[in-house]
Amino acid sequence: MTGLLAAAVIAAIGLAMINFILVKRMDPGLPEMVEIASAIREGSDAFIKHEYTVILRIALLIALLLALVVSWYTGVAFILGALMSSLAGLIGMKIATLANVRVSNTARLTGSLGKTLKVAFRGGSVMGLSVAGFALLGLGILYYVFGELLGQTSLENLRIVTNHLGINYIPFTMTVSGYALGCSIVAMFDRVGGGIYTKAADMGADLVGKTEAQIPEDDPRNPATIADNVGDNVGDVAGLGADLLESFVGSIISCVVLATYMYYLSLDSSSPIPGSMVIKLIRYPLLFTALGLLSCILGILLLMIRKVSDKPHRELNTATWTSAFLTVLSTGVLTWFLFSGEPTTGSGFFLGPLSPWISAVLGIVSGIAVGSLAERSTSYDYPSTRLIAEASREGAALTITQGMAVGLKSVFLPVLVLGAAIVAADAVAGLYGVAMAAVGMLSFVAATVSVDTYGPIADNAGGISEMAKLDHRVRDITDELDSVGNTTAAIGKGFAIGSAALAAISLFATFLFSQSSPGDTGGILLIDGNNILEADGRKFVLLLNMINPLTLSGAVIGSALPFLFSGILIESVAKAARKMVQEVRRQFSADPKILSGESKPDYKQCISISSAGALAEMKVPAAIAVLSPLLGGFILGPEFVGGMLIGTTFTAIMLALYTANAGGAWDNGKKFIEKGMYGGKGSNTHSAAVIGDTVGDPLKDTVGPSLDILIKIMAVISLITVSVFQRYNLLELVKVLF
Amino acid sequence: METHFYLSLFPMEALIASQLNPAQFGSYMATGSKKGSAERLIFAEISGDFGSWFDWNHALHRCVRHPNGDLKNSVYLSVYRVLEHTPLEVFKALYLTTQDGRILELFASEYSAPDQGRDFFIYKELCPITPLVISTLPPREFCAYMTDPHIKTYVPKLMYTDLKMIDFDNPEQTGNIGNIYDNKLDHLKECIHEVTTYKEKPNKILERSHATSFTYQVIKNGIYAGDQDSFLFFRMKSEQELKDQAYDWAKSAMIL
Repeated sequence: MTGLLAAAVIAAIGLAMINFILVKRMDPGLPEMVEIASAIREGSDAFIKHEYTVILRIALLIALLLALVVSWYTGVAFILGALMSSLAGLIGMKIATLANVRVSNTARLTGSLGKTLKVAFRGGSVMGLSVAGFALLGLGILYYVFGELLGQTSLENLRIVTNHLGINYIPFTMTVSGYALGCSIVAMFDRVGGGIYTKAADMGADLVGKTEAQIPEDDPRNPATIADNVGDNVGDVAGLGADLLESFVGSIISCVVLATYMYYLSLDSSSPIPGSMVIKLIRYPLLFTALGLLSCILGILLLMIRKVSDKPHRELNTATWTSAFLTVLSTGVLTWFLFSGEPTTGSGFFLGPLSPWISAVLGIVSGIAVGSLAERSTSYDYPSTRLIAEASREGAALTITQGMAVGLKSVFLPVLVLGAAIVAADAVAGLYGVAMAAVGMLSFVAATVSVDTYGPIADNAGGISEMAKLDHRVRDITDELDSVGNTTAAIGKGFAIGSAALAAISLFATFLFSQSSPGDTGGILLIDGNNILEADGRKFVLLLNMINPLTLSGAVIGSALPFLFSGILIESVAKAARKMVQEVRRQFSADPKILSGESKPDYKQCISISSAGALAEMKVPAAIAVLSPLLGGFILGPEFVGGMLIGTTFTAIMLALYTANAGGAWDNGKKFIEKGMYGGKGSNTHSAAVIGDTVGDPLKDTVGPSLDILIKIMAVISLITVSVFQRYNLLELVKVLF
Repeated sequence: METHFYLSLFPMEALIASQLNPAQFGSYMATGSKKGSAERLIFAEISGDFGSWFDWNHALHRCVRHPNGDLKNSVYLSVYRVLEHTPLEVFKALYLTTQDGRILELFASEYSAPDQGRDFFIYKELCPITPLVISTLPPREFCAYMTDPHIKTYVPKLMYTDLKMIDFDNPEQTGNIGNIYDNKLDHLKECIHEVTTYKEKPNKILERSHATSFTYQVIKNGIYAGDQDSFLFFRMKSEQELKDQAYDWAKSAMIL
């Protein structure tokens, strides 16, 4: 196992480094292009530096708490997770701010769409490969150091232990959970901070620049335009990368934790899971994703080595689907060799040795389905988005109303797909299968993140071309690449939400498992499932008592949390955007020569406003995500938190789908009008659509992605701390005292 | 320091002396000094010092640098009946200024009657009046008609432009032409029917004062100025020409 994992990690990080160096060595172009790119890079670096300083302080505090309360290795694993996630985000952002200007320059020098696409994708691949590479590197270190060297994965240590505070846990599950929490914390700050930054800058640039002063997009006279481009890097690159790294890790560790607890809890049953099987179940998601990563490397190389056409969408799809196909194929072979001949007793494999692979494939299929449904709801090639454009003829109110209708309706079918995927994956391979469905969906994450990162790089390249006033042929190329990036982003969001939902549900199941005590499975309310037929007549199912008032109130309050969280986020964006609007107005008024092009605007002031706004505003939403399960748990205990997780997970999935799809549909409704429908640009219809797009901006780019993280971070924190607050909570104390 | 004379034609009629060159003047007039305005305007640079209607001495006396050395932005010579008293021969160039202050320079070119492929025209009158008119008359004949003193509603001199028309078989796919036909389709069809059916009435007003929703996107062939004796045609650049020669202006004008 170590060999395959090491090969995948070395190949991924090695190729990422090669691509990084190759991109960096390219000619950045004309002095004015270099100047603009430097301003974007400096702004991005400054923000990330401030953000990571905040994260570092919080991370050290959490690590210390984990080490003191749970175990030293949980604290160390947490730091490792935070480090890996930060590294991936940092490297991704660095390459994005280097590649943007080189993409623009390639278009300028070659005039070739295909050659320019290659540079953008090469840049994107650094992020994609770093996400998967660093995630697996960290997990590999954990497995080798803590699992193998310190013996946490030896069968005798796959037992619940009790620490000095009387807290129960299985050591390796706590190690991997700490790692996942480290990734989650970074992802939360990257996504929330980056999301607030990017939308404050974007809205500020649009509201005054485009709407009031009628300046075109990416015009260098707009003081907020550099901040807008910085936002693409800190939000859409670093934020997206950290988010998907966290999902990737979350799905893998939920398999590991589930397998470990299934094994432990089956020991007392009549059909225990064999020791050799549990070791394979723990290793399987790592091997599966390692093969996925190797497949992605081939898919990425396929695009980079051969001569590509001038059809960017087709080329990107070829890279993604080649990676997916190779992943499915190679993991099928792996699964067969790993599990054939292995007794599947107690593991819930209903379709033989290929069961977990079938579940993973179900995950991939449902991911594609959710992504395609997102495209149907947001692309102007389909009726939903066209209806929004049509409604804009009657004014902004109807644009908003129709967009809300599209967004709300768009939730049902993806949820149906996810529901079906959960039932099917569970039917094939039990709860482990559900976790594997999430792993499957994310197994070719290196390819999907490469494509997703290509989008903001192309967007930035377009901005640089525009600001440097390059020839219109250069701008045509970067515009074409950018428009493809918008489509791939919508599908990527579907994948991100789908995988987050499945990962959160798997983590929720592990939360229930984690409440067990040494030699006692009663803590998690395991019962004999009379309605499930098993050869030996006994089958364990998990129960969360929904009639329990604590669980019910947890579910109700948990359901409200995503609304509170989203409201705070939108308010944060609005607050920062208002400051940006005021600053842009102030600059235009203070120096009229900015608009005539004789003076340069003060870009740095706008960058500072976005940075300060994001850094100040990201703390409250992050605190809600981290503290709600802790407060709920330490006051009202695990039943309440269980209910809360259910409530939060369900409403957050719905809200994430709604916000992503409504925002995407408003955006593309506007783009449809800009193609020359209903009066096109400059018409009242267009003005109404612009308002819809502006309303949708913080929904799709700040709220939606942050909700994906909210559900996972709450699940991981609950998973780690349940054994603590199960023992120490106010309610229990009151019961004891009175 | 040279003094320029600018004839503002749309949306406000005025004769203005300025030390700013056309690009600076367009930017100043569109975006203001510190007023934060964003106004689309059409103006022409003219050679000054003609006739006795305007007080040229006043302009030359007032149009001097500010004490701090800054150029004089504007000295208004007249804001009423300006085009009427300006001979077309003094027109140097016409400037279409976007709301963010970018200018497109157009020079007078040879006129030939446009082939519309339809039996009616839509004219947007720019100065001194601003209605939107459906007409069966080609541009030159329309100008002759509108400036004919025998017509009760004549104007001594007129500046106007002909507009793009949507495809009635596919009315949703308008192209980027702005707001012009929004909510007026039925009335537009009635007006077209009227002028094409009743030949004795070649013109029909589609909208009395169509000032705010006019955009450069909707200009079809160009801008015309004329009276009974003279006629000027400023050809609008094609989309490809704009891409090659005036990309930034076309972006600001939302044509590209």
